[in-house]
Amino acid sequence: MSTSLRNQRLLALFAVGWLLLNFPLLTLWDSGVSVAGIPLLPAAVFIGWGVLIGVAAWIVEARDGDGDG
Amino acid sequence: MLSAPLVLAASFAYLLLLFGVAHFADARGRSGRSVIGNAWIYTLSMGVYCTAWTYFGSVGRAASSGLWFLPIYLGPTLAMLLAWPVLRKMIRIARQYRITSIADFIASRYGKSRALAALVTVIALVGILPYVALQLKAISSGYALLTATPGEAHGGGPWWRDSTLYFALALAGFTIAFGTRHLDTSERHEGMVAAIALESVVKLLAFIAVGVFVCWGLFDSPGEIFARAAARADLKPLLGLGGESRFTGGQWFALTLLAMLSVIFLPRQFQVMVVENVDERHVKRASWAFPLYLLLINLFVLPIALGGLLHFGPGGADPDTFVLSLPLALDQPALALVAFIGGLSAATGMIIVEAIAVSTMVSNDLVMPLLLRRRQGTRDLSGTPLAVRRVVIVALLLLGYLYFRIAGEAYALVSIGLISFAAVAQFAPALLGGMFWKGGTRAGALAGLGAGFALWTYTLMLPSIAKSGWLPTAFMRDGLFGLALLRPEQLFGLTGLDSLSHALLWSLLVNAGLYVVVSLARAPTAGEAGQALLFVDVFERSGTGAAAAPVFWRGRASVAGLQQLAARFLGAEAAQRLFANVARQRGVDQIERIAADAQLVQHVETQLAGAIGSASAHAVVAGVVDEEPLAPADILRMLDEASQVRAQNRQLESLDKLKDDFMSSVTHELRTPLTSIRAFAELMRDDPAMDSEQRQQFVALIVAEAERLSRLVNQVLDMAKIESGHGDWRNEAIDLRELIAHALQTTREAFRERGAEVAVEQPDAVPLLHADRDRLLQVLLNLLSNAAKFVPPGRGRVVIKLSSDARAATIEVRDNGPGIAPDQQQYVFEKFRQGGDAANRPQGTGLGLPISRQIVEHFGGRMWLQSVPGQGACFGFDLPWHHEQTAS
Repeated sequence: MSTSLRNQRLLALFAVGWLLLNFPLLTLWDSGVSVAGIPLLPAAVFIGWGVLIGVAAWIVEARDGDGDG
Repeated sequence: MLSAPLVLAASFAYLLLLFGVAHFADARGRSGRSVIGNAWIYTLSMGVYCTAWTYFGSVGRAASSGLWFLPIYLGPTLAMLLAWPVLRKMIRIARQYRITSIADFIASRYGKSRALAALVTVIALVGILPYVALQLKAISSGYALLTATPGEAHGGGPWWRDSTLYFALALAGFTIAFGTRHLDTSERHEGMVAAIALESVVKLLAFIAVGVFVCWGLFDSPGEIFARAAARADLKPLLGLGGESRFTGGQWFALTLLAMLSVIFLPRQFQVMVVENVDERHVKRASWAFPLYLLLINLFVLPIALGGLLHFGPGGADPDTFVLSLPLALDQPALALVAFIGGLSAATGMIIVEAIAVSTMVSNDLVMPLLLRRRQGTRDLSGTPLAVRRVVIVALLLLGYLYFRIAGEAYALVSIGLISFAAVAQFAPALLGGMFWKGGTRAGALAGLGAGFALWTYTLMLPSIAKSGWLPTAFMRDGLFGLALLRPEQLFGLTGLDSLSHALLWSLLVNAGLYVVVSLARAPTAGEAGQALLFVDVFERSGTGAAAAPVFWRGRASVAGLQQLAARFLGAEAAQRLFANVARQRGVDQIERIAADAQLVQHVETQLAGAIGSASAHAVVAGVVDEEPLAPADILRMLDEASQVRAQNRQLESLDKLKDDFMSSVTHELRTPLTSIRAFAELMRDDPAMDSEQRQQFVALIVAEAERLSRLVNQVLDMAKIESGHGDWRNEAIDLRELIAHALQTTREAFRERGAEVAVEQPDAVPLLHADRDRLLQVLLNLLSNAAKFVPPGRGRVVIKLSSDARAATIEVRDNGPGIAPDQQQYVFEKFRQGGDAANRPQGTGLGLPISRQIVEHFGGRMWLQSVPGQGACFGFDLPWHHEQTAS
């Protein structure tokens, strides 16, 4: 993968992260509902956070051909 | 309760463990088997971000406002997503120019400005000192809670009986032992990094242990905690975002942004992420694994906070101490001790790295410039930077301790975490701007940083001091000089924001605004423009070797002067080594013979920068050389020169490769006949009874192969002679008609054997040509014998055509062989690239055509090939009647 493509993906993920883990989208989860005993808001934030980390790992650890990638 | 000696013994045993690990890692590093050259260690060392303030304070924050502890960790997660493009660039710049602190980084970018370095250092110092005090307070109050001696929590006892002081001194000892080992701060502190990585593991495991205990020991499951909290009216808001204020979104945003900037710009983060980085590629792993670390250490914050509130009831215990008080209240002294050690590791890690980072800055950018001003001359100062750094470390920890004793429970200390963050966030415009924008200037950076720092002081620091009761609060209520517009927490009438968001908005807005506006007010000077290029384009200007990096310097220098200067700061021995290395690299036998050029000046300055910082290094080097001022146009010219050097380097590299290819071809070509000779000879040796006819046949083959071998060697020598320009060339008058006749005579037998007929087309007379007859004959014979090899047996037809015009004589040799495929045509004149594939190509050395072409070109002519596959090939060359004889 070229550096440029990786950087663009990271930048896009960064934007998604800002939107997802910030107001006003954060208030969507603030509903008082519980999932398996855990309130939705903390569960959603931690799951969203984990997904962000997973996608980041996938983007940066992808094999690259050019070494500098 | 635990006995005080037990807690003290455990704590000091833990510190001893750190010493042991650091010592081990340093020893391994010295023997070349580094333990820190690993992406996981790098990631763990970033965990120094989580201090005692977060270890204990996150729970406290969660207990009062629910999820609002999270932006402090979400910000770094987002920042790390950009680590690959941004942090990697910082690492590359720091590595390339031996930058060892954030002050150095900013100062270096804006023309190695001492003023800027000093300002950044002051901001870092003012922002960080109370933060160090806070760590000491965490250790102290944790110890007091564990041993139930409440007096000590607030530094109540006499100072000489306060164990916190001895902790501070022990940490100073550790920092000096492992943080000031080398004079050159751009060298890594392996022991320190290994210890910090261990501390990150300890605090994570300790915190998780407490979390697991609370979730599944104290309660049945996290679900039970949440269910019971949801049932309580006073705790239910903690499960949501709480508060309906329309500005909460802004505050969340501000906190995230603040943490995002802090994770890069806190001096300790810069130290572990940039200075201590071993390999840029480790950034990849860290960019997701460090966020994962943050996620894990925060997983149990909310359950512990809610569990504590449920267990103790409202006002039962200080939520900031839940991590310790919950295990204690449930009679789990061992777990409480583990939790305390976890907190201790969070605090000590922060203190150690911050002390190294800040002491480097204070020493290089505040103390050394003053010392240098007072002690000009040539006195040996090589011990000074290290000594200064050590003194600064002790002073920093003692000042932190003093601050803690004085401030104690005051608001100024409790809220300092975010206030520190806001202070270092001021570095963002100058630093990030400087990395990506070439237009930023020293004046812009000074104006932005200065104004940002002033606003931070006025809107955040002073109010926190006033709230502690050390300043009259009147100025907060009525504004400075009674002007309501100047109220520090509602500056210019901006209301509705919490004090942190308010301060961050104003300080960063004015900081960034002034940075841009003042930078744009005038064009950058040559010095600034040069540094801007080196920083912004660092990826284009590094990697192909130091020689290729442009050097923006012009003037006069003396080797002796530079060596004396280096000896003054690095020590005579290190300076001798430095110059001996340069001499070896440049291939001169004596140090005195090194050319004192811009590269040398740059090299010495960079080496000094590792020891005393780039701003000081620039200043002292400027003192011993005679620098001429540069204009921006010079910068462009020097940049051009540097890219030419790079291009030449690339050319040399490709020539080198060609030479290697040539060598391997030659050996390959020599081996083939040698192998046959040896094989036939061995056959005859092993079979004495071989009949004479066969023996004769083998001997004939050996002779033929030996002839081929000697022809090859001759041609290689010939080629080498011609190429190196050492060939012997005669200059005689030649009749080309006679030359052709001679060549035909020589090759007649070959054509006859092949059954080919040869025709000659030539004018009746041509002028005499001045050239080397033997060489031209060699060319002609080569073309004819090639033709003889390729024409079809029995019906071959070869035409030699001689023509002449006013400029030159032209000779063409046309055959009716198979021709040469278009994609092969470009290779026929290359050494050892015979036409056709290796399996069916005829015998030959592969050097004939390249040599022929060299000869023709020597006499100013050209050689070419025209061929359509299936219709034969036509090799031709022309020779001008008159040409400038080359010098050989």
